[in-house]
Amino acid sequence: MAFDIIFGNAARAAFGPEAVILALAAIGLNVHFGFTGLLNFGQVGFIMLGAYGTSVTVATFGGSLWLGIPVGLFLALALAVAMGFPTLRLQAVMFAIVTIAAAEIIRILIGSTDAIGLTGGPLSVSFDAGAFFDLNPYADGPQDRYGVGTFAFTGQQMWVITVGWVLVALVSLVVFLIIRSPWGRVLKSIREDQDAARSLGKNVFWYKMQALMIGGVIGGMAGVIDAIKTSGADPNGFRPQVTFYTYTALLLGGAATYLGPVLGAILFWFLREWIESFLRQLAAEAWLPDAIADFLEGSEGIISVSMVGLALVLLMLFRPQGITGNRTEMQLDAR
Amino acid sequence: MPDNPIPADDRAALVESARRTTEVEPILTVYPVPGVAKPNPILKVDGLRRSFGGLTAVDVDHLEIERGIVTALIGPNGAGKTTLFNLLTGFDRADSGRWEFNGQEVTSPSPDRLARQGMVRTFQLTKSLAKLSVLQNMLLGAPGQVGEQLWAAPFRWLWSDQERANTERAEELLERFNLAHMRDELAGTLSGGQRKLLEMARALMADPVLVMLDEPMAGVNPALAQSLLGHITALSLEGVSVVFIEHDMDVVSGISDWVVVLAQGRVIAEGGPWKVIHDEVVIDAYLGRRRTEAAS
Repeated sequence: MAFDIIFGNAARAAFGPEAVILALAAIGLNVHFGFTGLLNFGQVGFIMLGAYGTSVTVATFGGSLWLGIPVGLFLALALAVAMGFPTLRLQAVMFAIVTIAAAEIIRILIGSTDAIGLTGGPLSVSFDAGAFFDLNPYADGPQDRYGVGTFAFTGQQMWVITVGWVLVALVSLVVFLIIRSPWGRVLKSIREDQDAARSLGKNVFWYKMQALMIGGVIGGMAGVIDAIKTSGADPNGFRPQVTFYTYTALLLGGAATYLGPVLGAILFWFLREWIESFLRQLAAEAWLPDAIADFLEGSEGIISVSMVGLALVLLMLFRPQGITGNRTEMQLDAR
Repeated sequence: MPDNPIPADDRAALVESARRTTEVEPILTVYPVPGVAKPNPILKVDGLRRSFGGLTAVDVDHLEIERGIVTALIGPNGAGKTTLFNLLTGFDRADSGRWEFNGQEVTSPSPDRLARQGMVRTFQLTKSLAKLSVLQNMLLGAPGQVGEQLWAAPFRWLWSDQERANTERAEELLERFNLAHMRDELAGTLSGGQRKLLEMARALMADPVLVMLDEPMAGVNPALAQSLLGHITALSLEGVSVVFIEHDMDVVSGISDWVVVLAQGRVIAEGGPWKVIHDEVVIDAYLGRRRTEAAS
């Protein structure tokens, strides 16, 4: 059994562009769910608008990438306002329903055949992200690899993840700074009991709106990285499960902690790729009975995703606070 | 204060007697009928109505709450006391009616705006913020914090001085409410009575003009209830007006300067505690059973 290959694959996924995207999405969701208690089940909507805003600006309107990125972030911000205005006064559950519906509506509209002229519709959209890769300091020949064994990236990937992880660090720092302030204290008080916050003179609606906007823009950043990484966007990449993976990563790392979403995203991709790679190796070395191997053929994704689900269940049972969370804080909920 | 020759206890007694003459005695000259005008009202309510389906929960024609004294709001279960509180503090919408707080007409009652104007309430079921520390709970109450604005939040130097001043004030209050030793514990670990204390202390952090306490003594052991009573009296000594909801007649007669009796949403009586407690109408509505027992 080639465990070095399996481990290399897992490590590559854990630090690759996908993990960057998941980490940013989870940091944004952490502002919503972890610190403010907003049940946002449509985080993918913000990612999608970030990705499509960037892609469409460049591909359809022929704008520069440096214009596309702020457009993507602005669209994510606009979604936060549009979604928050009518619903933030409602109960948490209503808000949850609206968020998941809004994200799905946007995905279906973007992916519809009527939208081909604008977003590429079901055909997806692609653009030239050359403006970004022109700045790439890593040599990017066909033979250039950075890393050891299967834990290696191409020059382009290296540039994406370098920028990506720096962005993750900066965003984490900003979130840390605003959450430890009195402003962050108000957010937490809203999470605990919004009527108490109101009775002390805090404009709960406005604070929730600010949190929604900040988390949404961070989600939009994930979308921008996604668009640059793939030089485009595809509506099928923005199904609701993206939001649930984001929740998994966040809960895995520990909601309402500063490093939780980042560690969670890394671990999520590590576990997922480890299992997938392990199954591939098993099948390749014919250690599996034929029937099971046939079933696994081309469906490793399904198995690894269900394993992630199982891991989440076990986590909730045995370590509900996540890796970095505080258990006594968690147990206060039981009272 | 070493240069002050009067011992602390006597000083408190002097302050109390001064308050009796300046704040309480004027109210005692008011003729005790429902809806009577007061010499210096902080809250004036007119035609306030709220019904839930067919049930009229609150139907107050006119009510004035005097400034600087302790007013008790009593009444049997379902009399509409808490609903009245919710309406006045903006947590519920009235069907009709208008009210004036601290000389200002309340046009669009929103809980946070009223709180910023100085009407701070507590809740029957305490709302301590379980996952914040006791100190953080207190700091949340402080008004006008620069650091609560997003643009200033990331820059600690903009709000650290204010935070330090607020922390000092919070620590003083915690000391006074016997919670200083719990300063850094999560509020969720406090006992029920301690949470009541914390909620009251937190309300004080907000620099209130009028404190509205919804059953501050409910579910609190007798010893702690005594200290809560002491805190309520102390509040009015500091010039804060207090309205509180209570069931226990002994408590009411012990600390309130004025009593308003609510039954089926209406003000059926008001007056000094001893006057109200012996009022036939009140006994009828509120202590009806004792009367039938006496009759049988």
